[in-house]
Amino acid sequence: MATYQENFFTRGPSPLARVTFFSLLAIAVMIADHRFQALDVVRFGATTILNPIEQALAWPARSLNTVTTYFRDQDSLIADKKALEEKVLSLAAEGQRAQLLAAEHKHVTTLQEANNRFQREGIIAEIIRDARNPFARKMIINRGMRDGIKSGAVVIDGVGVVGQVTNLGATSAEVTLTTEKDQSVPVMIVRNSLRAVAVGNGREGAIEIPFMPVASDILVGDALVTSGIDGVYPAGLSVGTITVVDKNPAFSFARIVAQPTSAPTHHRFVKVLLMPTSGVEKTASYPVSDIVASDSGTTTTDKFGRASDAKREAKLDAKRALRQKNEARER
Amino acid sequence: MDLSPLSRDALSTTAPKRLVFGALLIALMLNLLPWSGLALLMRPDFLLLMILYWVVHESRSIGQTWGFALGLVMDVADSALLGQHALVYVLAIFLTQLLRIRILHLTVFEQALHMLSILFVAQAVYVLLNLSLGREFVGWGLIVSPLVGALLWLPVHYLATLPRFRRRGQTRIM
Repeated sequence: MATYQENFFTRGPSPLARVTFFSLLAIAVMIADHRFQALDVVRFGATTILNPIEQALAWPARSLNTVTTYFRDQDSLIADKKALEEKVLSLAAEGQRAQLLAAEHKHVTTLQEANNRFQREGIIAEIIRDARNPFARKMIINRGMRDGIKSGAVVIDGVGVVGQVTNLGATSAEVTLTTEKDQSVPVMIVRNSLRAVAVGNGREGAIEIPFMPVASDILVGDALVTSGIDGVYPAGLSVGTITVVDKNPAFSFARIVAQPTSAPTHHRFVKVLLMPTSGVEKTASYPVSDIVASDSGTTTTDKFGRASDAKREAKLDAKRALRQKNEARER
Repeated sequence: MDLSPLSRDALSTTAPKRLVFGALLIALMLNLLPWSGLALLMRPDFLLLMILYWVVHESRSIGQTWGFALGLVMDVADSALLGQHALVYVLAIFLTQLLRIRILHLTVFEQALHMLSILFVAQAVYVLLNLSLGREFVGWGLIVSPLVGALLWLPVHYLATLPRFRRRGQTRIM
């Protein structure tokens, strides 16, 4: 009680002074976080501490869910099993075809590195919950830095690209969905290999392709896959299907909207693609640069044991093409 | 005849620190539940409500510093831009500090109306901040949140009448 009487009249700075100070501090923190990503360490620490608490709090709802799943009727389980078996069969056929195509592709490009942009290791993660921020399209998964996930890793589900890891905790990670405002994915139209960038607009079930000229060849129903040109997203992952093409001559750009392929709200598991450890991926991001990549001197042999020969040939080809080009220019 | 000064008791009837921080912790836990969808939009900010309650009743222990710190915790938990909740909490606490003496003299319902306006201002600042960052407006469910918060003030108010808190049922003078 004595302490109360001692500081009974000591008030410190006035509320107005305090609110000014703290508001400025909050704005400074926002700028530091937004512009410079300076506070990732703070965020990492706090996330790591908060995550077990949040997991514990989410436990009752999750266990209830597990119990109701346990008591599901047999009919639906049998139907599910049948559907899954059919899917396995169709996927097996697809897989074999993909192997064949990959082998052919290897012959065509005669470079082993080129395959790196299609294949990548991944780990399965469970979606714990959506982020509690109504303004953001993010979700939290149960794998983090401890499982080898890095910031920027690509996340996919059974059908297509889900998004990218944007924040890390030790045992959890935050995935920003492709539909998040300003989240961009380099894409390619399957029909004509037209490259573009798909950008989320903050709404569920829609991504946009901005800055495409009105004259560009895009039709409703065109399938979008990742182009792999950025070195972050591996090539060939399904991104979406074009649903709206609005070519208004009054504007210089067409309004193009696509429906994302993946539906992360509908299931519980996703796959996080681990980032490549070598620098090969970056140089082999697109066929054009694949030929250049052969200059980098990485000697790897494929199973046919003739990669180095093939590389030398590709190198000669490239040189020949360059010489022809120069000659043509001189003429 | 009891001549012991009233004011001494009035000063000594502070809530135990356990109660203050226990209540804040429970409010934080409620905020950390896996809310999503419409429930997330309409969810009252339990933590802000609890902080404001202690700003009114325990102005010496809970002030803007605590508001700022807990705001940062909420930012991390909500995967929001750091500093958003901190700013909102600090502004709401400032408004409450201005109205504090007045609120203490009002009935519970009038207090709840004051809280409604403060929570509404807090929510408006939060939404405007996000819109200015280029986010999409997510729906009018956001308006429900301050309303629910103000309604919750009624049960929360009775925390003050918990037996441990008020030993002799006196009304507080300041």
